Amino acid sequence: MGETVPVVKLDVRGEICPYPMFKASEAMKKAKGSEVIEVLTDHPPALLTIPHEAVKLGWDVSIQRVASAEWKLTLTKSQVSKEGKT
Amino acid sequence: MIFCEETIPVSTWTEAQAKRGLPFSGQAVRVLGGLALAALIYVGVRNQGHWQLLLVFGLLFGFILQRGRFCFASAFRDLFLLGEARVMKGILAGLAVATVGFTLVMYTFSPTIMAGRYIATANILPLGFHTLLAGVVFAIGMSLAGGCISGNLYRIGEGYVASAVALLGIFIGLLLLGYTWDFWWTASVSYSPKIWFPQSMGYVGSMLLTLLLVGISFIALLWWESRSRRHGIPIREAAAVESPGLGGQVRAMASRVFVDSWPVVTAGVLLGGLNTALFLLHHPWGVTGALYQMADAAATPLGLSPGTLTGLASLGGACNVGSERGEAFGLSHDSMIVGGMVLGSFVAASGAGEFKIRVPRQKRRLLQALIGGILMGYASALALGCTLGAFFSAVPSLALNGWLFAVGLLGGSYVGVKILRRLA
Repeated sequence: MGETVPVVKLDVRGEICPYPMFKASEAMKKAKGSEVIEVLTDHPPALLTIPHEAVKLGWDVSIQRVASAEWKLTLTKSQVSKEGKT
Repeated sequence: MIFCEETIPVSTWTEAQAKRGLPFSGQAVRVLGGLALAALIYVGVRNQGHWQLLLVFGLLFGFILQRGRFCFASAFRDLFLLGEARVMKGILAGLAVATVGFTLVMYTFSPTIMAGRYIATANILPLGFHTLLAGVVFAIGMSLAGGCISGNLYRIGEGYVASAVALLGIFIGLLLLGYTWDFWWTASVSYSPKIWFPQSMGYVGSMLLTLLLVGISFIALLWWESRSRRHGIPIREAAAVESPGLGGQVRAMASRVFVDSWPVVTAGVLLGGLNTALFLLHHPWGVTGALYQMADAAATPLGLSPGTLTGLASLGGACNVGSERGEAFGLSHDSMIVGGMVLGSFVAASGAGEFKIRVPRQKRRLLQALIGGILMGYASALALGCTLGAFFSAVPSLALNGWLFAVGLLGGSYVGVKILRRLA
C-alpha cells in the first residue's frame, strides 16, 4: 500500500436510502487511478447497500464505527480480480 | 442463504466488527428508558381488555422491523434501482408463512364457506380500479419518503426527523382522502367486488394457489436478478475469533440478536408468524385504521373532520375507520400497535447503537418526505390499507386485492425510481 494515495472524502450523513449508495457509487465510477474513498454515513442500511455496490464495481470495503450511529466506509480498488476464487 | 451463483470476495467487512470497539454513548440509558416507557403504558392500559397484548405485539413488530431492516420501500425500489430482490425475498417468506397461518385461522373461525359471506376481520377488500391506482400512488409516495408507513414508523424510533415529517404528511393525506371519499365511493369502491379465492376453490385449494403464486413470484425474482446481472451478494461474516467459552458464546449470540442486523428472511418469517397470531387475537396487522382515527381526532376540534365515510362500516379490512370513534385523543386499541412499533424500534435501535437524531442537511429532503407522506396517506385510505393491510395481510387472507395492490406497487416503484434519480 502506497503512502500517498489520494483520499476522496464523502460525507453523506443525514441522507437516507438510496442516496448514500447513489453518491458512493457515483464517486467510485468517477474515481481515476488508485484513490481511496472514505464515506461517512449515519444511515445503517447504507452499511449493506454501499458494500454491495462497491463489490459489484470491484472495490474492497472496510467499515469502522467512528461515533455512536456513525460509520466510516473505506473503499479501495480491489486487488483481487472479480473472477478470483473465494 | 445463497443469493447468487458466483461468490465474489468481500474483503474485511463484518458488521459486528464495525460496531465493536467504541462505547455506545447513552445506549443503556435509552434502552432502559424505552423499556420503562413501554412498562408504564402497559400498566396504564391495564383496564382495557387486550390493549396490553396489542402493545406487546406492536413492540415486537417494531423490534423485528428495525433489526431486520424490513423495508417495503426498498424491497420494491431496489428491483428497479439495483435489479436486486434481497428484501423482496424476505417479504415473500413472510407471505408464505402467513398464508398457511391465516388459512388455519380462517378455517377455525368459519369452516363453512358461503357465497357472499366473508370473514369480517380478514383483509378481503373491494377489488377495483382504485386498488391498482392506490398501489401506484402509494409506491411513488414511499419512494419519495424513503419508506412506507411502517417503515417511517420504525424510522421515527431510530431518530429520523424526516420520518416524523412523513408521518405528518400521512395524516394530511388520510384526511384529504376522507374529504374526497364520496367521489371514489361512487367511481369505484361501491361496485367493486370482493374476490376471495375460498369461495371458488375452498381453503386448501386457495392456500395452495396463493403459495403457488408466491413461489412463481420467487422464481420471477431469481430471473429478474439474473437478467440484470446484478446479484445480491452474500456478505460473509468473519469467523468469530474469540475463545469459544460459554461467556464468549453467549456474548456472540447476544451480539447477533441485538447488534448485527438480522437476515431479512428471518425477519419476514417472524413477521408472518406474528401476523398470524395477531389475526387470531384481533385482526391482521395494519396501521392505516389507527392512523386515520388519530388524524380524524386531531382534525375534529378544528372542524376539519371528514365525518363518517359512506359505506365504510360494511367493508372491513385494515381501515375500519369509524368504529371506535370518540375514544380519548383518537386512541383506539389499534394505536397500541402503532405506538408499540415506534417504541420497539427505539429500543432495538438503541441497543444496536443505531439510534441518532438525524436531521437531513438538505431541507428539500423534508419537503420530499412530506409530499411522499401525503401521497401514501391518500393512497392507503383509498386502498383501505398500506403495504401492511392491503398487501402483507391481504395476500395471506386469500383475496385477490392484495395481488392487484402489489402490481400497482411495482408500477409506482418503477416511476418512483425515475423520480428519485432526478432528485439526487
